Amino acid sequence: MGAKSSSLDLLRQLAARQGVFPTDEDLEAVLPFLEAIVPALEELERTLPPGTAPAEVSQS
Amino acid sequence: MSLAGLAERLRVGELSPREATASYLERIERANPHLNAYITVRAEEALAEAESAPRGALYGVPLAVKDVIDVAGTPTTAASRILADNVPQHDADCVARLRAAGAVILGKLNTHEFAFGATTTSPRFGPARNPWSTDRICGGSSGGSGAAAAADLAAGTLGTDTAGSIRIPACFCGVTGLRPSTGLVSNDGVVPVSWTFDAVGPIARSAEDCSLLLEAIAPRYRPEEGGVRGLRIGVVEALFERANPDVAAVASMALDELSALGVRLERTKAPLLEQAATILQAVMLPEAAQAHLGWLRTRLEDYGADVRARLLAGLLLPSTAHVTGQRARRWYCDGLRRLFDRFDLLAAPEMPIVAPSIGEQTVEVNAKSIPYRLCLMPFNSPWTLAGLPVLSVPCGFVQGLPVGLALVGRRFHDATVLRTGRAFQEAMDWHERRPTLAFDADGKASYTRG
Repeated sequence: MGAKSSSLDLLRQLAARQGVFPTDEDLEAVLPFLEAIVPALEELERTLPPGTAPAEVSQS
Repeated sequence: MSLAGLAERLRVGELSPREATASYLERIERANPHLNAYITVRAEEALAEAESAPRGALYGVPLAVKDVIDVAGTPTTAASRILADNVPQHDADCVARLRAAGAVILGKLNTHEFAFGATTTSPRFGPARNPWSTDRICGGSSGGSGAAAAADLAAGTLGTDTAGSIRIPACFCGVTGLRPSTGLVSNDGVVPVSWTFDAVGPIARSAEDCSLLLEAIAPRYRPEEGGVRGLRIGVVEALFERANPDVAAVASMALDELSALGVRLERTKAPLLEQAATILQAVMLPEAAQAHLGWLRTRLEDYGADVRARLLAGLLLPSTAHVTGQRARRWYCDGLRRLFDRFDLLAAPEMPIVAPSIGEQTVEVNAKSIPYRLCLMPFNSPWTLAGLPVLSVPCGFVQGLPVGLALVGRRFHDATVLRTGRAFQEAMDWHERRPTLAFDADGKASYTRG
């Protein structure tokens, strides 16, 4: 309960710094997205070959 | 009637643009209350425009466009409360090109809110209903385009595709849809989701019809003639294994037919299939959040809950996510390019399932219950990442509902993809199957499976 509450607080602060003010219900809906994608991104960062430059927006 | 057939009748004067337009408007009036495919019908404007249509390749052909594509003087709502009063002054580039080719724009088609989801169940306008079974979704986000093409409420339609939004409704509605190569069609005048991935493209009855529409909206596109003998198609094994067995079996039979036409099939593995959805989201979510930042600050409560959650996820991802995504995209594209050294096309089921019921959040895939939005990603994200053209062609039915085969080509080889789809459709008639539209004594429409 405490961990979830602090996660929501952190998200609320991050949103507020960008001028966006979601409700607790909004943030609770976002949390599962982030809990799925952030670890997957961390794994992706570990497996990316070093020195790979970003693709450009119009690049394939 | 096919778009190509109608265009020919109009060209030789068997039918006038006004008669064709009036016929579609009558059908829309009777059927749309059942399907909710249209958000706005431009009845008076379309009839007036039919009188002065230019004599181009689409002379007098009545079409409709997804309601994220601007038509001057007609609201672009993106199926959202936020844009309820948004009336653009100019046509989107693709609409201007359709008009220059002689097309008549019947109206604006239902979409997932801001084209940011795959069910087309707008909280503002209600769900678009699948003509094959009106208690089922059309897919999305171009769900109204799929429904209108399937129910013959326009001779052809335009949709947009960021992560599957043309291919999925084409598949679920039993029609043909092309996500063109990213960058082939201008996005000018189209409400953005993601600058990296957005693509405008056709949904119509056949590959031939899609080719005619693409010719009108993409100046660089040149159709190819001829058969498919000798083309090398890589069969993406993992996606056949991930699809429901009955869906995979139908798609496999379509491959058999392509083989009989002289295509060379070989099973293959696509690179980074498991990572593709993560890479796509890392790029798409922050771009969508950026596109919506002003409204996130001032109109947050006016979004539907699902779109609001996705946009907030984009806002709250780590600041490195987008760069990580673009780096991984380059890595992914390099791997895929090597695969296309061996193949002209790739093939897979377009979706692992048939259309779910409206409101169904989870679906059964290979005896596992998973969220609908997760089941579609492995089948659509990989090709989006590399900006490749993908054609979804109807290839059979499961439980009376359509199944689609995805044909994936090299970037800017859209003509090869469409040529292959056309050859398949000359051999098979799945794209000719239509849900039956019937009217009761009060003139109300109902649909039964044909």
